[in-house]
Amino acid sequence: MAQVVAPLDQPSNYKDSQTRVDRTHQQELLSKSTTLYVGNLSFFTTEEQIYELFSKCASPEEGGGIKRIIMGLDRNTRTPCGFCFVEYYTHAEALACLRYISGTKLDERIVRCDLDLGYREGRQFGRGKSGGQVRDEHRTDYDAGRGGWGAQAQRLEVERRREVEERYADAQEGPGAVPGGGGDWKDAGENPLKRGRSPDDEGDPSRDVRTRMDDDSQRM
Amino acid sequence: MSYGGGGYRRKHHYRDDVEHHVHETLEQKIKSSILKLGEVDPLQELPRLSAHICAQKSTITSTVVEALRIGVTQQPYKIPYYATLLRLLSTTSVSEETTLQGQELGKQMLEDFWKGFQGFLDRLAWREIRHCVHFFAHLAVAQVISAASLYNLISAFVAVLDEFGVSHGRAKQAVRCAIEGLMIAGPALAAESSADITSIVTAIKSYVQSVSRFKYLVRPITGHLADDGSHNVANELLDSALTALEVMYEDGFAQGSECFPRPYVEVITEGSVVFALPSVLVPPEVIELDGLSSESDILVKKADWAEFHIRIFDNDVTPDPNTPSGYAVRCGLLDLVDIFEVNRKECARLLLEFPKWTIPGTFQHAQDPVSDKNWQLECTILEVTCQTSVRIASPLKPSVQSILGQFLLLPESTHKSVYFITLITELCKLAPSTVGPAVGKSIRKMYNLLSEGLDVALADRLAIWFSTHMSNFNFIWVWKEWIGDLGLSIQHPKRVFMRRAVEYEIRLSYYDRIVKTLPEQMQSREACVLPEEAPRPIFAYDDPASPYHDIAQSVLNLLSGRAKAEDVMAHLEELKNTFETTDTDGNINTTIRAIAVQSLLHIGSRSISHYLNAIERYLPLLRNLAGGGISSGRGSNTEARSDILSAVLAFWKQNNQGVIIALDKLMQYQIVDPTDVITWSFVHAGPKNGEYRTCTAFQWDLIKGALDKANGRVVIAHRRLATLRKEDDDNAARAKASHGGMDIEDAKPDPVVESPALASAVKALASLTREQEAALTQTVDGFFRCLVTPGTSSPATRDVITTTVWDNRNSWAEAEWLSWETWAWYIHLCRTYAPYLRNYASTLEANVFADSKVLDDPAGELFKKIWSSMLD
Repeated sequence: MAQVVAPLDQPSNYKDSQTRVDRTHQQELLSKSTTLYVGNLSFFTTEEQIYELFSKCASPEEGGGIKRIIMGLDRNTRTPCGFCFVEYYTHAEALACLRYISGTKLDERIVRCDLDLGYREGRQFGRGKSGGQVRDEHRTDYDAGRGGWGAQAQRLEVERRREVEERYADAQEGPGAVPGGGGDWKDAGENPLKRGRSPDDEGDPSRDVRTRMDDDSQRM
Repeated sequence: MSYGGGGYRRKHHYRDDVEHHVHETLEQKIKSSILKLGEVDPLQELPRLSAHICAQKSTITSTVVEALRIGVTQQPYKIPYYATLLRLLSTTSVSEETTLQGQELGKQMLEDFWKGFQGFLDRLAWREIRHCVHFFAHLAVAQVISAASLYNLISAFVAVLDEFGVSHGRAKQAVRCAIEGLMIAGPALAAESSADITSIVTAIKSYVQSVSRFKYLVRPITGHLADDGSHNVANELLDSALTALEVMYEDGFAQGSECFPRPYVEVITEGSVVFALPSVLVPPEVIELDGLSSESDILVKKADWAEFHIRIFDNDVTPDPNTPSGYAVRCGLLDLVDIFEVNRKECARLLLEFPKWTIPGTFQHAQDPVSDKNWQLECTILEVTCQTSVRIASPLKPSVQSILGQFLLLPESTHKSVYFITLITELCKLAPSTVGPAVGKSIRKMYNLLSEGLDVALADRLAIWFSTHMSNFNFIWVWKEWIGDLGLSIQHPKRVFMRRAVEYEIRLSYYDRIVKTLPEQMQSREACVLPEEAPRPIFAYDDPASPYHDIAQSVLNLLSGRAKAEDVMAHLEELKNTFETTDTDGNINTTIRAIAVQSLLHIGSRSISHYLNAIERYLPLLRNLAGGGISSGRGSNTEARSDILSAVLAFWKQNNQGVIIALDKLMQYQIVDPTDVITWSFVHAGPKNGEYRTCTAFQWDLIKGALDKANGRVVIAHRRLATLRKEDDDNAARAKASHGGMDIEDAKPDPVVESPALASAVKALASLTREQEAALTQTVDGFFRCLVTPGTSSPATRDVITTTVWDNRNSWAEAEWLSWETWAWYIHLCRTYAPYLRNYASTLEANVFADSKVLDDPAGELFKKIWSSMLD
């Protein structure tokens, strides 16, 4: 197809400035990636709204589905700052979003999708000086959905704003702060230890869940 | 002209190209000019392009052929012009400046092109095959290839219909190749004495008439549940193709020039036939591949159904698909939608430019309003696209392909319905003033079909389309024109649609935003369009008056204080013991489970992430609860899991999406199994808790989620096993190679020994396959209890299945509509999951249909009829 029109499911030229992965390896990761970066969200958009739209590209009958949604937060205020990661179980689902969803509206804003190298600890936070996204530092227009230029939110949105601002007040940093979302099916009878473990031990397989939970309870 | 909108953009692209490809080779330039043929005016460009090619060295021919192959298969609307180009290139030149031209060149190019066609045939790439046939058919009329050889090619496709046990999917493609080839090449074939068109038409007709069994389950209008007849608002693709062919055949293909542009007729003065297509056989379908044969019994084969297209507009607005030109226009648009799926924005632009490639006068034109056809482009595109978007297609890709796809096949994607939805969005953005009204008309027409028995799955897809579309256009809709329908029964499909559409809109947006878009009458509680209040969690023990308020609060405090799972379990154990001494109520276990699960949901209610965090932190607790009770393991597991599910439903009573997400993740973390969800959904998630009576759209969502989970797990297990097998084989081969110099006795690998990972993968697959079978059995059994079993089934289930009763549907009450809907979801189950159901048919029949007496009444007969239509 590429001979006649450019397919929409190509990753952009975005280069994660903080990744330690080289360009070739990045390409390789992207070609298998199940994670989608979603940008230009309103600060008020919820994970459930995101789930509703992005589940339209899910293929549960092929072992896919939305694994988890990681809301991008302002590092200082712990409030959504206009981006998120949507992680699927399969690469094809992420590609489908680039073809069908990127460039359409969610919560009355045109969202932009891109393939992502995959979530890593700390990436849920904005990288701008002020704690939010870098692009909002340079933005000069008025954008009610992304904090306006001051606190001039419309009246209708005051209630939403209050809810949203409280929602992630408990957001944590560090390993285990972001849930895994559930891994593949495991046979319960096979290894009695597995019943006691999180099915998604992608963080650090050497630790069992006992220690991890102890860590969490101290941290959170 | 009115399509000038795209012109500016093209110019811009062109400039970009010049900038980016300064060092473009001659070959690239030639290829690009062939692919871009006709961007301004194909007729003017053709002689220039042809002269340019003829001035090159003979080494250019392979480039030209490659470009033609891409052009024909990816821009089929240009095929008549590509045929003209080849005609020009194969005509002996009188000019001396040209180095290339003439019969030899044409012959050489066609030989080369044929190799590519053979490649498509070998891969059974049907769309490409069909477009090559179009190309050959035009070339036959242009007298470049011999009519007799084209006739033989078409006969090869007709021969497919006589194959023993030919699948409908394969036969359908072959029929389309034959019919479309005949329609285009009709005039040439009619003049060819060796061509026996009558026998071809007869053979196609007898096939098309013999396959009505593929229609029953996929009728888009299912009002008359038991009736086989199709409704007049829908046309079946092959029926339309055959009717169109017969019309042409009867008048000696005179209509051909009104359907297909034939630019070569004007360009060519004289020219003789230069090529005869070699004879071919359509290769057989590859059914199985070695290496996976041991699992083949559980792999699924895609089900083939008839393809109904709903008619939204009248014949004077959009072309009748049963006429030759109507069929040609529709197929042309369908191909565009299919080919340009990779870029919906380009697809939208090309769809709006489509009239440029049709016979002038086909579509309404501002400057030339008088024409015999004069169809409305936007409505036609909408009819084609939107019926595609709501078409009942099996969403299942054959697992064989998705597994092997990783290794052997090119990636193949089934288009998701969201593609069609956002394609329509793009069309609206490009031409808001014309596409917008066409969308409005389409929605109204489809909405009105809801009273005529529009299939429930289509109705739901309509609601999804409606809400997603409105979400892109400020939720502006003239709701007030449907106020009159609020008087209908609360379960009437129109009212179900309004509720669903508003619910989906709220999910994409938020409650207060959507309320504002509705007229007052629809905002009232009695209208039942809106949920009573914004979706919110309901913690049953919030009320201090609740007898369990204090207890629940103590559990909640532990959870929000992030207490260890063991401590929470110990606390629950303590509570239970206290209950046992003070309370004589038998449902202590249920109460404890409800308190624990609701408290957990409560701390996870802020967002999906919070919910997942809560689950992950308290997995041991949830597993303990699901295992049948706190520590002692009293009570049955099934009952415990049903209690957990009921607690979720109670908590998210005001939020269907909350239930769907919560259950999906409980299955993902293996707290509950898909079978638990299915059984529970039938009994507890309907309008009447505790009874097998109905399957509503919401219940179906839950059941489908569980079935997909069970099926998806089998797919993953297959994939893992295939990867491990391959690794094992590779390792064995490597070991063998490295032992090459050693004693043969030592190097011999033991064929029986498998790696532990492989052994456990085999075991996992077996166990997941059993789970899949159980899930399907529970589903069929659930429908059987709702629809047939005396005592459990609703009395209305027998009332709604006769034609006379359907005709009196205006007097139906809630119970009748619910029963009708349940029947329709059962039909949807059978067609959607046919490949899986067929795999387990004998077990399912033994389990569900054991009591043959029950099957004797009308409901039993219909249940069995639907089942048998699926098996066919």
